Amino acid sequence: MSSGLPAIRLENITQRFRVIQERPDSLRELFSKFFRHQSQVHDFDAVRDVSFEVPEGQMLGVIGRNGSGKSTLLKIIAGVYRPTAGTVQVRGALAALIELGAGFHHELTGRENILLSGLLMGYSKREMLEREERIVEFADIGDFIDAPVKQYSSGMYMRLAFSVATEIDPKVLLIDEILAVGDAAFKEKCFERIRRFREADKTILLVTHAMAQVADHCDRAILLDQGSIMADGPPDEVIEIYKNSMLMEAVGAE
Amino acid sequence: MTELVRDTYRYRELIWALALKELKIRYKRSVLGFLWALLNPALLMLVLTLVFSTILRFGVPHYAVFLLSVLLPWTFFSQSLSYAVESIVSNGDLIKKVRVPKLVFPVAALVSNLINLGLSLIPLALLVLAIRHPFYWTWLYLPVPLLALVLFTLGMTFFFATANVYYRDVAHILQVVLSAWFYLTPIIYSLDFIPAHYKWIFKLNPLIYVINGFRLSVYYGLLPKAPSIAASFTCGIASLVIGFMIFRKYQDQFVFYV
Repeated sequence: MSSGLPAIRLENITQRFRVIQERPDSLRELFSKFFRHQSQVHDFDAVRDVSFEVPEGQMLGVIGRNGSGKSTLLKIIAGVYRPTAGTVQVRGALAALIELGAGFHHELTGRENILLSGLLMGYSKREMLEREERIVEFADIGDFIDAPVKQYSSGMYMRLAFSVATEIDPKVLLIDEILAVGDAAFKEKCFERIRRFREADKTILLVTHAMAQVADHCDRAILLDQGSIMADGPPDEVIEIYKNSMLMEAVGAE
Repeated sequence: MTELVRDTYRYRELIWALALKELKIRYKRSVLGFLWALLNPALLMLVLTLVFSTILRFGVPHYAVFLLSVLLPWTFFSQSLSYAVESIVSNGDLIKKVRVPKLVFPVAALVSNLINLGLSLIPLALLVLAIRHPFYWTWLYLPVPLLALVLFTLGMTFFFATANVYYRDVAHILQVVLSAWFYLTPIIYSLDFIPAHYKWIFKLNPLIYVINGFRLSVYYGLLPKAPSIAASFTCGIASLVIGFMIFRKYQDQFVFYV
């Protein structure tokens, strides 16, 4: 049963990126810049003063157009970025599916990658060996499990990645877009697993452009626009607002 | 500093796996595989022994042992740096997607070369036996200079790995620095060959103290004097503290530049 405490809490998160036009990438450029003028620098906030909480056991969909800050937000929660301002708290083990098989090494076999990505996520070798068979079974990619992952199709890659991330049994799961690949049968298997995760009161944060996924699976949705929260509430309502804003823009552009 | 010790310990299995991965990839697709880690230094030794016992004669008895006793630690140092300088940049994809302490990458680069160094001591021992150089008990002292060398190397890897994130020229500059450093360090020659009034310049080289420890214990069967040991550890610790402080200051920014 949930403890009532939020699984994820974000307070006044801002992520500022410094965009330098033609950042000097080598010393030669640095010297030539030095003798001319300073390169133009401008800051932009990919995420601007965002605060929200996700209660334990909730499945939250994050939507918004490209560049609205969804993925940046996910990376902040995952701990990949340290935010410019604000605090992030995540209670319990976290698994992030930010990109297909992040942490997979092309030259290593599927089995070796299971271990390596587990270690990268902070699990011990023993914990990963205990889970190995179940991961292999769920991924269901046959003999390819002992072949280097560079020989995998993107679907196989994804199967293994999803299997690793969910079989390690995290309390909080972050998913970015990745369910867009894979065949229908495996997608169904993934959502079946997500349903079981929800029954087990795990917290899931899903970033996606597929509104149907949000409408069907999420308890709540957040709409991001230019790094700020534009709407937060029941999926149907938030999706409606999103669609209207897209429509308004399309009309306005004429 | 506690962060360094804590994360290295906590992620020891990851560091080990990354180091093995490095070696595995290095010897991948070669028929002899891991054996190359032994064969490489062995063949090098064979060449050196032949060259210096027949063609070039320096008047240094058992020159191959004289040379290899410090060439092997030097190779560890230069290879560790060459690998580590790219370690953050080449793991950029990972750093952008997974939360992982960045220090595991330079540390793993060092560990993989440490394994290589350990393995290369086996052919060195065989060489010592083969050419009937005395096998001194002072071999047991080797872990001490090795520790000083690891500290020094680690500090340098942190520094170069950080610098290379911002300016990719660093990896190229490093190669030049390393080759100059190689000739300025008494590796192929002895400090005794240097005229007395130039010696002070050589003593500014932080590596000579630790190098001295290796040569004394393997080739001469002697232990270094206390001031030399102290100097080697002072250099090692200074390098590590400064290198890690710089690394730590910038590590959260790496993700934006890789």
